[in-house]
Amino acid sequence: MYAEGLTLKSKKTGLVEWIDSKTVRIRGNIDGVRIPSRILEEMIQNTVKNGARKIFVKADGQHGIGGRIWPREEKVELIVEGPVGQRLGSMGMFGTEIVVMGSASNDVGWLNCGASIKVLGDVGDGAFNAAAQGILYVKGSGGARCDTLTKHNPRFDPPQSWYLRDVGDSFAEFKAGGISVVCGYNPRNPENILGYRPCVGMVGGVIFFRGRIREYSEKDVKLLPIDESDWTWLITNVKEFLRAIGEEGLYKTLTSDPKEWMKLVALKPEERKKVSFPVPMSEFRKKVWEKEVGKDGIFAEYIDHERWTVIPYVVTGDLRRTKPVWENEKYLSPCTYACPTKIPVNKILSMVRAGNLLEANRTLLLQSPLPRTVCGQLCPNLCMDACTRCALDSPVGINKMGELSVDIEILSPKIKSSKKIAVIGCGPAGMSVGWHLTLRGYPVDIFEVETKLGGKIELLIPRDRFAYEIFKKETERFLSVVKNVHLGEKVTRERFLHIYNQYDLVIIASGTHSPRRLNFPGSEYVVSAYEFLREINEGKKPDFRGKNVLIIGAGNVGMDVASQAYVFGAESVYAIDIQRPKAFGKELEIAQKKGVQIIWPKNVKEYDRSKKRVLFDDGTSLKADFVFVAIGDIPQLDFVPKEIVSQDGWIKINECYQTEDPKIYAIGDITGQGLITHAIGHGKKLADYIDKYLSGCKLELKREEVIPYERIKKEYYYGKTFDERNGILAEAERCLSCGSCRDCHLCEATCYHMAIKRIEKGDREYEYVVEHDKCIACGFCAYVCPCGVWEMTTLP
Amino acid sequence: METSMEIKDNQLLSIKEFPYIITWREDRCKRCGRCLSVCPNGSIVATPKLVRVVESEGPIPKPMVKAKVVHVIEQVRDIEKYCTGCAMCEIVCPNEAIEPIYNPQNRFYHYMNKGGEPYRRGGRRNDPSPSTLDRIKFIRISMLTDPALDAGRHEFRIRTYIGRLLQPENLPLTTEDGLLVPNPDAFILPVREIFPVMIGSMSVGALSPPMWEGLAMGVAYLNEVEGIPIVMCTGEGGVPPRLLRSRYIKYFVLQIASGYFGWDEIIHSIPHMVEDPAAIEIKYGQGAKPGDGGLLMAQKVIKLIAKIRGVPEGVDLASPPTHQTKYSIEEAVAKMIQSMYMAFGFRVPVYPKISGTKTATAVLNNLIRNPYAAALAIDGEDGATGAAYNVSLDKMGHPIASNVRDCYLELVKHGKQNELPIIAGGGVGKKGHLAANVAALIMLGASAVQVSKYIMQVTAGCLGDEFGRCNICNTGRCPKGIATQDPKLYRRLDSEKVAERLVEVIRACEMELKKIFAPMGRSTELPIGMSDGIGIDDKDMAERLKISYVC
Repeated sequence: MYAEGLTLKSKKTGLVEWIDSKTVRIRGNIDGVRIPSRILEEMIQNTVKNGARKIFVKADGQHGIGGRIWPREEKVELIVEGPVGQRLGSMGMFGTEIVVMGSASNDVGWLNCGASIKVLGDVGDGAFNAAAQGILYVKGSGGARCDTLTKHNPRFDPPQSWYLRDVGDSFAEFKAGGISVVCGYNPRNPENILGYRPCVGMVGGVIFFRGRIREYSEKDVKLLPIDESDWTWLITNVKEFLRAIGEEGLYKTLTSDPKEWMKLVALKPEERKKVSFPVPMSEFRKKVWEKEVGKDGIFAEYIDHERWTVIPYVVTGDLRRTKPVWENEKYLSPCTYACPTKIPVNKILSMVRAGNLLEANRTLLLQSPLPRTVCGQLCPNLCMDACTRCALDSPVGINKMGELSVDIEILSPKIKSSKKIAVIGCGPAGMSVGWHLTLRGYPVDIFEVETKLGGKIELLIPRDRFAYEIFKKETERFLSVVKNVHLGEKVTRERFLHIYNQYDLVIIASGTHSPRRLNFPGSEYVVSAYEFLREINEGKKPDFRGKNVLIIGAGNVGMDVASQAYVFGAESVYAIDIQRPKAFGKELEIAQKKGVQIIWPKNVKEYDRSKKRVLFDDGTSLKADFVFVAIGDIPQLDFVPKEIVSQDGWIKINECYQTEDPKIYAIGDITGQGLITHAIGHGKKLADYIDKYLSGCKLELKREEVIPYERIKKEYYYGKTFDERNGILAEAERCLSCGSCRDCHLCEATCYHMAIKRIEKGDREYEYVVEHDKCIACGFCAYVCPCGVWEMTTLP
Repeated sequence: METSMEIKDNQLLSIKEFPYIITWREDRCKRCGRCLSVCPNGSIVATPKLVRVVESEGPIPKPMVKAKVVHVIEQVRDIEKYCTGCAMCEIVCPNEAIEPIYNPQNRFYHYMNKGGEPYRRGGRRNDPSPSTLDRIKFIRISMLTDPALDAGRHEFRIRTYIGRLLQPENLPLTTEDGLLVPNPDAFILPVREIFPVMIGSMSVGALSPPMWEGLAMGVAYLNEVEGIPIVMCTGEGGVPPRLLRSRYIKYFVLQIASGYFGWDEIIHSIPHMVEDPAAIEIKYGQGAKPGDGGLLMAQKVIKLIAKIRGVPEGVDLASPPTHQTKYSIEEAVAKMIQSMYMAFGFRVPVYPKISGTKTATAVLNNLIRNPYAAALAIDGEDGATGAAYNVSLDKMGHPIASNVRDCYLELVKHGKQNELPIIAGGGVGKKGHLAANVAALIMLGASAVQVSKYIMQVTAGCLGDEFGRCNICNTGRCPKGIATQDPKLYRRLDSEKVAERLVEVIRACEMELKKIFAPMGRSTELPIGMSDGIGIDDKDMAERLKISYVC
């Protein structure tokens, strides 16, 4: 009946002793010699194989006793006595029932898969480690690290472990399932029956305990009172536990009060995250931080905004760093900026666009008494050179602006001032200042030496360069407004003194009527352009047929002379200059068309009248029947006080056209040669200054800024074609309205936040405004405004 | 012909020269302008564009010209308005229509010196390659050899000391009846036990009020709630009196630098202080701009900064590169250390900070001879939150790894490695490996590690990176509200969120440190100088650092 496989030694020594066919006694020690764990294991496995179902083991510290008895449809009992080694019942299976009559060493029930293990003493460290099924009953206490890594496989009931007294440190670490019960009866440490740091890493299962504990891993488990179903379970199962360990008498003690029991349950994954801030930061800030450092934090004394509120990235109202402003007409358009008279071209053209032709023309006439003659014909139109439209196709035809103004009447306004103003000279400058002062309500007397007004326009500019009839009409209108023009009245030194004393202000605008001459052999035969052109305008008709004409000075006056020479039959006309010729524009165009040849650099050495040749420095010469000099004119200043004249023969003025004598002003060519529009501009500006000065306003020179080029969005104007026959009406459409709102509503349409509104102010006035509580200061309006009117300004 | 205004286009740079190129999707954009309203550098504009197509329909050519004007968002090509790549546009865009893309071909540095002014910026050393620290591996994984520890289960004491540690034989103890008893007459130098990661110096002024206070609050939280004794260096720029006079000042290291800003206000506060600060740091150099001083531009010197620094508003505040009135290393060290010890009655450790340098061992040797020096802090080349010349940021300074190693081995040579702590910093956390970098420095020989840039980055969502992204801390236009004194910008930043992030980051770092130290069986004392635990996959580096070469 001896089991197969037993060693000879064991047979001989009788380690295995069969009591009956199902009962066997196995000894782990023979004659004081401990048998190896492997042999004991072999003996147990073999006796079970051979039918043993109740095995008494007298152990001697062997490892793993009683485990791994694979299920046999019936119970296999092991009753173990003596010193038990580690891992008793490890990998035990269902059907295995182990009773340890005393205490057991470490790792009892390791990796238990169903065995029931009853220890009638204490268990060492690591009991039930990694148990997945089965039951452990401990009559005494557990050592350190009991119930660690226990699991619950849903295929089976959860493992149970019961400890009557208490357990050691690090209990239930990484517990993943199963039920632990620590009854707390007569514990070793009544203050702490679960030991030091239980439940670290516990993720599943439950621990019922009765008695006091000092701590548990709060990040892993929560402490709860037991509920009714827990209690039912406990009072049912504790009965079985107590019966198993033979302590039925304690039933009452353990079940007298459910309140003695608590449980530790693993936190669910979603509960775990919640404890990342044991104290919420806002609570810490309010109750701890501010309590210590003061309300609103450590910087509170230095800031003047709400401390703890946070603002979003995209803000409105005062939180913005910039805001859009509708800066209509803040900047001058390039045309106006270029215009010496500063005529607000785009404003006038916008009136034309709006169909207010009369208003447009009146506005134009408020700028200049001679819009059709000068802007439309004689002016080289610096405005058009500057026109932004040049970059697109061709400049706006600003020169057509005055075309409908000729017949517009201007009523002479009422005189509002008692100050008397005298103007000497009624050329473009004198006319301009007279016109503007009269329109502003000042009584003006103009003294003009000639019998006709208009200065050089009348005297010198060839009549074929402009429509003289229109000029006449414009001068007539001038005289209807400015009534006191004294023609043919020469102002001598005495007369000047008289005027000076009689009037509150004297404005000298007498121009340059003394031609500049050159000195070289034969220069006495040279005629000045001034004399030549003036004689023609006065009706003289020279005969140049077949003659060669030479003009010294190839500026625009030189070109006028050349043109006129051809008119009167000249065969050839040369214009020479010592430097790059200054002629430009229409004068040059006309003269060149007629055939003038410009040669430079040439410096005249001599005019040999007998040979009709002009000799030059460089040894060359040209044939010349007539020689004219056109190198400019200088003022005649014998009638004015010496102290207001500069060393080089012009009148000295400051930026307000005031001379050294505060009562005397000077404008136009007399202060330095310029274009007609410069003279008109001087008059307009001076009238402004005087008006301000006499009406007691503080005189501030306006810093005039041109609109930055890139702010005008030319892109919008591609492909617009206009019928040129519509004249100024078409040109008004072509105008880009630089710096001046064209009321296109584009900003309003573009603003995604609907922060821009157009406000009608009556009398054709309107305004675009921003609702700042909607605006996010993206700048879209400023970026896309065709006219560059919107501007982003910094908010403090 | 084009006007002269358009001829200026000839000088325009190609978009290819720029470090970031804006990509904008017309099909997604609704022209709400949010991108324009947040762009910190004016790098994008809206502009009308003419779109023209010629179409022909039907069997014979029949051209039809269609032209329309549309509004687009486009990038500005003015070098001063370069796109910094911050991606604020992308952040606020509701339609994912816009984003900046890094342009590796850029020649930004070629052009970024307009007016002959060298490129100045904020941010960091723009070198995206991994630092030496990031190449160091922890190669000693004890499983069956040393008692391996479990970072999740075991208790660790991640702590270090700042202060001059006395050797056992020098301890102020006497023997009485065979027992050691303290010698009541002996003077003991102050020593602080702290978490080995220190928040490096970032000044009030460099940082916005919510940023600075957020960090300070987080430090208080870590100490008071989490029990992690982290300290933060104030930087040079004064300390708010409310903090000076609070209990929490004990969590702060006061910095004194060459400009001495705010120190009169600090001194005025000393009689009212209820706690001593954690330490005093004397700044001689910093990693951001080795050899250069600091300049807080006048526009940043608003009321708050002026008050705290004790200066008038709206003036430039210069910290010279060197301390004045010190004429030799011996004098500089002795004089400053003595003075600063005296300020707090010899109760507060005082240590100098230098930028990473070849001459670090010379400084160290001097400190060894100075009985008071509480530590030596070294800030390596990758350290920076500063506003500095690009050349200083990018090209100057010494990498921290070998610098710290040399100093530690120098200490070993003198037998002082357990006496004079080395505090290392500079590029820690550059690639996001905060704890690994900290552990590497500790095992190379550092007792503590200073981190500032990384902390700023992770706590406030700083947008900067080593590809030059953002990097405009110097301008006061920080889009996240971190490095600006403009309330309209800094009010974007939530101090509580900053504090929360700091807590998270430090807690995570602590756990990672445990993960690194656990397999080495270290749970109570830091493995300072435990160089057999680290290795590197580069033979030369291994040789230079005297650590294992592993491959």
